[in-house]
Amino acid sequence: MSKTDYDVIVIGGGSTGTAVVRDSAMRGLKTLLLERDDIASATVGTCAGMISSGFKYYNEPEFMDMCTDEVMHLRKIARHIVMKLPILFPVLDFSEISSGGVSKGMEEYAKRVERRGVPPFLILAPEVALELEPMLHPDVVASGYIEEFFIDPFRLSVLQAMDAKKHGADVYTYSEVTDLTVVEKEGIGVSYHNRLTGQIETVKGKVVINAAGPWAHKIAKLAGANLDLRLTKGSHIILDRRIVNVGITTRAVDRRWVYMYPHENTTLIGTTDLPTWENPDELVASHDEIEYLFKSFEWIVPSVREARIIRTMVGVRPMIPTWKVPEDEVSRSFEVVDHEPQGVSGLISFTGGKLVVCRRMAQDAVDLACEKLGKGLDCRTHIEPLPGMEGDVDILGLSEEHSISQHALERMRIRRGTEVQEILNLVREYPEWRSSMCTCEPVIEAEIRYAIRNEFPHTLNDLRRRLRLGTGPCQGTFCTFKAAAILAEELELNGEDYQLEIMDFLSERWKGKRPPMRGEQLAQEELVQGVYACVANLDQTMNELDYDLKPWEEVS
Amino acid sequence: MTEEEDYDHIMGVLREERITPYNEDELETVLSIGHCINCGLCLQHCPVVAGVGVERFSGPRSIAVELSRSPPEFWATGDKVFLCTGCGTCREVCPKNVEVPEIVNMIRARIFEHRPDLVPQELHSVDKTLLEHGLAFAPWEDLEDKAESRDMRLERLNLPFYPNRVKERAEVLFYPGCQAEERAQEVREAGKVVLEAFDVDYTLLGDFNCCGLPAILLGDDKTARELAKHLKEKVGALGTKKIVTTCAGCTSNLSYLSERDGWDIPVYHTLEYLIEEIGIESLTEKLTQSEDTQSVTVHSPCHLIRHMSRQLAEYAAQIIEAMPNAEYTESNLHDSCCGGGGMVGYHSPDVAQGVVEENLRAIERTGVSRVVAPCPLCTAHIEEMLFRTGSSVEVDDLTVFIAQRLPKKE
Amino acid sequence: MDLDTDVLVIGGGMAGLAAGIRSQERGANTTLIRKGQSATSYSSGAIDVSGYLPGGSQQLLSAREGIEAITSLYPLHPYSILGFGSADNDDVPGLAIERVGQAVEWLTKHLKSTPAQLYGGIDSNLEGITLVGTKKPTALLQQTIWPGEFAVDDEGVMLFLGIKGVSDLNPKIASKTFLDNQARTGEPPHKVGNASLDIAPFGHGYNLSTTNIARWLDREENLVTFIEQVKKKAEQFGATYVALPPILGLEENLKNQKALQEATGASVFELLAFPPSVPSFRLQRGLERVFIEKGGHLLIGHEAEPCGIESSKITEVLARSPRRKVEITTRSVVLASGKYIGGGLAATVEGLRETVFGLMTVTDEFRESGKTRPQRLTNVVSLSPESHSLFGCGLSVDQFLRPVNPDGDATAENLFAAGSILAGYSYAMEKCGLGVALATGHYAGETAAANATGGGV
Repeated sequence: MSKTDYDVIVIGGGSTGTAVVRDSAMRGLKTLLLERDDIASATVGTCAGMISSGFKYYNEPEFMDMCTDEVMHLRKIARHIVMKLPILFPVLDFSEISSGGVSKGMEEYAKRVERRGVPPFLILAPEVALELEPMLHPDVVASGYIEEFFIDPFRLSVLQAMDAKKHGADVYTYSEVTDLTVVEKEGIGVSYHNRLTGQIETVKGKVVINAAGPWAHKIAKLAGANLDLRLTKGSHIILDRRIVNVGITTRAVDRRWVYMYPHENTTLIGTTDLPTWENPDELVASHDEIEYLFKSFEWIVPSVREARIIRTMVGVRPMIPTWKVPEDEVSRSFEVVDHEPQGVSGLISFTGGKLVVCRRMAQDAVDLACEKLGKGLDCRTHIEPLPGMEGDVDILGLSEEHSISQHALERMRIRRGTEVQEILNLVREYPEWRSSMCTCEPVIEAEIRYAIRNEFPHTLNDLRRRLRLGTGPCQGTFCTFKAAAILAEELELNGEDYQLEIMDFLSERWKGKRPPMRGEQLAQEELVQGVYACVANLDQTMNELDYDLKPWEEVS
Repeated sequence: MTEEEDYDHIMGVLREERITPYNEDELETVLSIGHCINCGLCLQHCPVVAGVGVERFSGPRSIAVELSRSPPEFWATGDKVFLCTGCGTCREVCPKNVEVPEIVNMIRARIFEHRPDLVPQELHSVDKTLLEHGLAFAPWEDLEDKAESRDMRLERLNLPFYPNRVKERAEVLFYPGCQAEERAQEVREAGKVVLEAFDVDYTLLGDFNCCGLPAILLGDDKTARELAKHLKEKVGALGTKKIVTTCAGCTSNLSYLSERDGWDIPVYHTLEYLIEEIGIESLTEKLTQSEDTQSVTVHSPCHLIRHMSRQLAEYAAQIIEAMPNAEYTESNLHDSCCGGGGMVGYHSPDVAQGVVEENLRAIERTGVSRVVAPCPLCTAHIEEMLFRTGSSVEVDDLTVFIAQRLPKKE
Repeated sequence: MDLDTDVLVIGGGMAGLAAGIRSQERGANTTLIRKGQSATSYSSGAIDVSGYLPGGSQQLLSAREGIEAITSLYPLHPYSILGFGSADNDDVPGLAIERVGQAVEWLTKHLKSTPAQLYGGIDSNLEGITLVGTKKPTALLQQTIWPGEFAVDDEGVMLFLGIKGVSDLNPKIASKTFLDNQARTGEPPHKVGNASLDIAPFGHGYNLSTTNIARWLDREENLVTFIEQVKKKAEQFGATYVALPPILGLEENLKNQKALQEATGASVFELLAFPPSVPSFRLQRGLERVFIEKGGHLLIGHEAEPCGIESSKITEVLARSPRRKVEITTRSVVLASGKYIGGGLAATVEGLRETVFGLMTVTDEFRESGKTRPQRLTNVVSLSPESHSLFGCGLSVDQFLRPVNPDGDATAENLFAAGSILAGYSYAMEKCGLGVALATGHYAGETAAANATGGGV
């Protein structure tokens, strides 16, 4: 088998694609992942991270069962990046609980709680709800209560990719598939544009698994196959700080479910759901979407508009192509599509799916691939833990031993579990790398260097996904130039590329900050302009250097 | 499951996930953090950072931005958050006036509740005293010893002892604070001398209790609220119209409590009472010549100038300048911490020392013979710190310094 | 608590302090209140007057050239307003240049005896070198930031000297960036080096700030070891220029710079830094010191309570501190409360408002912005010479710097505005922030004082 021949080539490095490459590699298949951008850079990078019990999907009991299984698997294989969150469903009128399928949901939910180790759907008295969450409207008459689990979607995807590499897979990011050629009985030739070198390269896979999410139909088309997708745009508002103690879910203006979750040091409000045919790279949140979310939450959290908005984020969901039904009646399950009946053998695609079932989607697809390859190999992704789960981390002891603040270590542990030790080894060698580089959370230089050396980032944006750099309230005001310098050092960038790296990162942040621009974020933005335009004079860089407009900048 | 069981379960989950729901009166502070734009001006001006570096104390920005991070991680800030002296410089320089001092208290309260093991032991001892005695310091075992100590102090300062007055419906409640009540008793007596000199209708508390500031600073929110409640009841029972205190911390905390808990009674520091109620003219008329000319500088307590108003530093200067033979010189660091703030000295004396060093140098540079402070706690700290450096500068509480220059009754 | 004053200045940045010092000099008792520090505390150590024309990409050779062009092209730019003068003035550029020039000289004179001592003027723009290795045009630099002139055939070596644990300057990347930019423009010097010093004021070489080092260098006893280290590195690289992060001292920077230059024979200077920087600390403190020396009353920690304007004159302003209130009676008011950082302007989704008196706000094109969604005042590209209208929004003023109402009349006869609260310019893009603040503050101080003491502008 030549170096460029693979058993399985996976296209797309989201949660599903990385789960597929991990599964395939763990079964001993020679596997390659091709991602056009970075790991978790599209749909999964814009989700809230909930690994849902499937409460809303009471009409799909089998899918609910699957969700429950998967929550338990993830808690086993990725315990260090999973956390529990109580969620309230406060109502101003009892009819909200007694109608709209909620009771059916309660019933189905209750059937599966024991396995997840949580109580059934509880109904709380208003005073209890207000004690839990003083931000609620004082006139709430009752509140539902459930418990859900959340995972860090970036870390999950990166860890799956890292684990796949550990099992022998090749993972190429910034490799955009440009052509698929079906070679009868041999497999599929895959051409891709290596965005780092500018070269077109070709590899061959006996089976190609198309996990390209909202681009999956385009990938299928390259091979002459047909894939229908129902694509919808979902936007979130990200507020500064945890303005709520626990999660809150409510009915939106149009009766859809919307939620507000404390997440890291922010609060997420989401989501919208709008049919879309746009290029996902060009999408930004609209004023209407922002107002839709605020209006929907104002009834239940009256002061929601007083909080500071950091930014918005937008993703595109690739749903199962069920048409002429409202969004919430479309199955949230997934389908593994074998394109062989269409005459394209060796190509497998996905439609639909949720973060919670990404591992299971991979399992089903790789099972099918094995069948095509004629190999009976068993899936082990639900048994083997992901990197970083080798035990407990003694923060107090390590803090003492390495003179790093408890908080910096605790944040590191939340991202990396036992991998913390690797970073501490670096610190032993380079004591000055203890310096904190970020003002929103204490990310130390050693962790940045470690991530650059081991987790294949090529840009500051890639580092952001791995370290949460630039995701806090200041949105990179103070870490961008420092982190870019470290990246430039490690990747040996020249001075011009260093300046462009700063520009690129600020552009990407601005994309999300601009739509809801108001309040204190104006002061933050004045400061950004003060640093990068007024002092660094980088606003003039646009003309002097070769700055490429980004897709969303080009369209307007 | 019954309703109680549901409730217990939920509270158990919150405990497990280390989520402490914000109280309603904390919400404003929580939202205030949202104004932080991470600029770090506070870091540049923080006296603790200047004294011991960012590595030891990560500074106000870190507290506002990082440490106030999600509730489950409050505990991980235990090695930093107890090192804040609460001086309020951060809030004052902040373009957005982010309430960092209040945030510090909130975080401490959460650590105290969820991880008491991370609260410095010395603070637990203070907490024990507060719980047992309702005072920041263990009271004298023998009241005769206490009186003897008081009389010795008064004799040295040439101040009289007036009998204690406790009565209902007096105009003013004089609240000396724990330090003046139990330790620097001369300040308590000086306060009385000042009030008597202007024939103020005043009363003391029959049964003194702490205002709760130490409990707030060490994170025992429950005890702080208990103490505030007791005090409110006692003040209410006495039916006074105003409160006057000689302590900077008490002034600021009582002002806060009066507003938060609806006491509906204004709180004055002696300085404010003299300037705003008595008037500088009446005060000047009564001030007598002391034996020799004194060159004086004033130390401005953080709790007066930054937690209340900078005008109060000007009041102090105005009063010294009105004294017939006192020469006032301003120290350029008159507004920097005495080393006693935030109860840091209890558990990390090296940090307290680091914070106060520049202040002491600035006092020496003025060349004065005496530094006065409108707060018995600041006075005690500066005295101790100066003594350690072998300085010859003498230290007095400002109320004592004023009382010494007022006519005494027979 | 009550206070009585001739002139009340709201805001303590460059504009407010320039107004306060000037007003006090003109014989008016002046009280300045400020809530926190302001955008001036975020400055880099450069006093920009005019670096680029609005939207332009051509670096201006002098501030004089910039003001001249601005006054003819942008009639409502604050510099143009300074040039209006009386109705019979037919030389707007001339008067504008005169007023800005006077203010610049005045500031230079006042700061001469402070650590923020300045170098430069409006006749020739300087190029400041920044922490990331880029350059920017500016009118004045703090003395310790001025690298000296580069000869056209300069064969010298510029050494970027970092400090281990001070993450603001990455000397390797800054020197690379500087060199790449020099190569592109062909300007000297063409040789660079980079190195780091080991200084551990608290016994460790990590998590240090420039302020930590500056404070450390303010103590004479630490200078000797520091000079030794710098000298060793300078010799090793044959450096003729030594670029440091801004650490030379909060108080003793001038003395320290001199000592370092003598020891190394090189030009030793500080790089322009991002906010908040040691030089901004020096500038802020320097200005406050001058104001107090002139007899001004500086009331820190007090914020003006929002209030409406009910008559043609403002006679009373309520100031609030954390737990007290002060009633201030005044004859003139200078509003120098800044933009979004200072809090002079604020915006909701509904539109922009002025936060103290509820004055009319306008866009950079002088359309009312009270009902404009802020997002509509932005461009899709974050950083570009186009900037964003949002940062050109503010107050529209008459020739005496009095904010006007929709009819174009002064909102109150004794209210003057200065600094970044004014509409019509983007300081970050034009590189003119402290220049506009200084010149408008200086003029507002004069008119406010005249109004308070002589009765009318």
